[in-house]
Amino acid sequence: MSDRSGWVSRTIKFLSSVRLAIVLIILLILASVVGTLIPQGWTPPEYAARFGRMSGVLMRLQLTGVYHSLWFLALLLLLAANITVCTLSRLSAKWTKAVKPGLDIEPAALLAGKTSGSVKKPGPVADSLAAVRRELGRRRYRQRESVRPDRSFVLARKRTLGYFGSDLVHLGLLVILAGGILSARAGSREYLKLEEGRSAAVPAAGFDVRLERFQTELYPQGGIKAWTSRVTVVEEGRDAFIREIKVNHPLSHRGFRLYQSGYGWNWDQPVLELWVKKPSDPAFLEKRLVRPGEKAALPDGCELCVERFVPDFIIGRDRQVESRSDEPRNPAALVQVRKGPDTLFSGWAFARYPDFGGGHSGPEPAFSVELKDIQAPQYTILEASRDPGARLIWLASVFICAGLFLAFYWPAREIRLVLEARHGKTEITAGGMTSKSREPFDLEFQEILSSLRKGA
Amino acid sequence: MNESTVFLAAFILYILAAACYLAYHFGRQAGRARAGLVLAAAGLTAHSAALVLRTVQSGHAPFTNMYESLSFLAWASVAAYIVMERRFRIQAAGGYVLLVVIALVALASSPVMPKDITPLVPALQSYWLWLHVSITLIGEAFFAVAFVTSLMFVRAERLERLGRKPSPSSAALDAVSYRTVAVGFPLFTLGGLVLGMVWAFKAWGSYWSWDPKEVWSLITWFVFALYLHTRLVMGWKGRRSAIIAILGFLAALFTYFGVNYLLAGLHSYA
Repeated sequence: MSDRSGWVSRTIKFLSSVRLAIVLIILLILASVVGTLIPQGWTPPEYAARFGRMSGVLMRLQLTGVYHSLWFLALLLLLAANITVCTLSRLSAKWTKAVKPGLDIEPAALLAGKTSGSVKKPGPVADSLAAVRRELGRRRYRQRESVRPDRSFVLARKRTLGYFGSDLVHLGLLVILAGGILSARAGSREYLKLEEGRSAAVPAAGFDVRLERFQTELYPQGGIKAWTSRVTVVEEGRDAFIREIKVNHPLSHRGFRLYQSGYGWNWDQPVLELWVKKPSDPAFLEKRLVRPGEKAALPDGCELCVERFVPDFIIGRDRQVESRSDEPRNPAALVQVRKGPDTLFSGWAFARYPDFGGGHSGPEPAFSVELKDIQAPQYTILEASRDPGARLIWLASVFICAGLFLAFYWPAREIRLVLEARHGKTEITAGGMTSKSREPFDLEFQEILSSLRKGA
Repeated sequence: MNESTVFLAAFILYILAAACYLAYHFGRQAGRARAGLVLAAAGLTAHSAALVLRTVQSGHAPFTNMYESLSFLAWASVAAYIVMERRFRIQAAGGYVLLVVIALVALASSPVMPKDITPLVPALQSYWLWLHVSITLIGEAFFAVAFVTSLMFVRAERLERLGRKPSPSSAALDAVSYRTVAVGFPLFTLGGLVLGMVWAFKAWGSYWSWDPKEVWSLITWFVFALYLHTRLVMGWKGRRSAIIAILGFLAALFTYFGVNYLLAGLHSYA
């Protein structure tokens, strides 16, 4: 039996030490610093390029994702266990002291304290006791008394809640950790790309959203003023309501929140404005709007086809045409002019470089094609998230702020007095304690003694 | 009157105040400290006027870029110092706090800080901007004062070991440092962490993203938590406490300043 209880008590002793808290806080500081110095969440090739042979070690030690690593979580959980045991082991004593305080004390013990003193008053103990009650009551001390034939004891306290400030902060920290774990395990985050007029189901939410309009507002002097997505919430196939979603103004519905998160252009289906000319005939100009893969009729039974479109033209490996990005940095279209089975013209048209008629071969072509404008449908990106841990975080925030206020600005004050009859006079011995802010309390204590002395 | 004139007036008043306080520190004539306080208060008034003018002109809170927030931090540091001086009679620290303030104002005025009023990007258009940034910077201002008194402690303690009697004594500086941290810590917790989480939840959809600025706020918070626990529970005082308070302010400074220039992240504004 002793073996087992020895083990348990050793563990409890280990977890209740403030030294452990200090060590854990220092380790958490170091880990956090490391996490901001080593880039987090890159891909293995990126680490290999940056750190060379060290990259394997970094990844094995989970230094490439510090805040989501098991050892970081272990540190946090150990700190939580430490906080719990520390707080509980001190709390029961504090609680007893706050709720069922002992009143008996030897005057000598009171005088041993830093804040202490004594007063001799003429008259019986009962008169002095009344004076003590008045004086302490005036200063909003709550009092308990124990009146005995030889001695009377008074315990006067105020702001007793101040004793529990630090416990409330610690409770808040535990709730934060619980909230964080709940968010990580039960929260979800999805991104919805929506073009105007299209709808999408919010995953696992039981409702859809349809984008009515996406708008980017600019300031007169340039710069983005607002991104606004006007959406209709659709429930069971029926339009429920319309709402505008902006940055800082998410839509809350059924435990989900929809945020304005981004926007972009759908370069898969742009509308291209193409101008077809004939080098041999300066008067010939035909303007057409065509999508990639579609055709448009030209005079004389010819037709204009867009074979391919890339937003950011580049000749990549193996001399193949590729798009370097999804941004319209160098838009280009591969166009053909056909008549029946014959291809009269084939070549790339560049929006940025209208004179660069590259790609076609052979003799002087019969046509030239310019890519004048591109209109891609814009989409909005809405973030749909559910975060059941967030409520715990707000609750914890209230605990922490209230606890800090109590701990620093609501210092508990306690004054104990012993009244004894001595040769027809009353001797009052008093001692005081406070959880913080000693100087103003000392001042009040001395004022109480001197007004007891005076008020004969 | 335009903002930059008033701002310059505040700058000059701070320099004069620092000169008076430093003269007091080396000469111990009460009149000099009083003159320092009057000049610092006058500087603070002019600085407040500059912040109000900026707010009126821009139509938004006066801390949305580096120039503005440096100016606000300097303003808050003077205010925090005056509060602590009235309460704890630490006139000897005035000169050094004002030197920090002058450094902040000089940095804000330097040509590398763009001073143009730019309209707010969508993420900053929120009343949480007012609460989150102002309370955080006011908390950091108290850390700045504690930083100065802790440095002064280190020096006073050394002098005492040599048998000299510096004024204020190291014990007094130790007590003032603690009281100043005790004001700054709850403010920093509320403004930097709690209100930051509330706003992040509203604007970014997540109350905590392990963004470098968030992590460094947490580091700063941990350092001051260390300060409080070693002091209140383990009874550390004096030199070791002072060193933790100094490190805490440096962490706060890095959170505020270093992260923007050295680490990339979500907090790309200021």
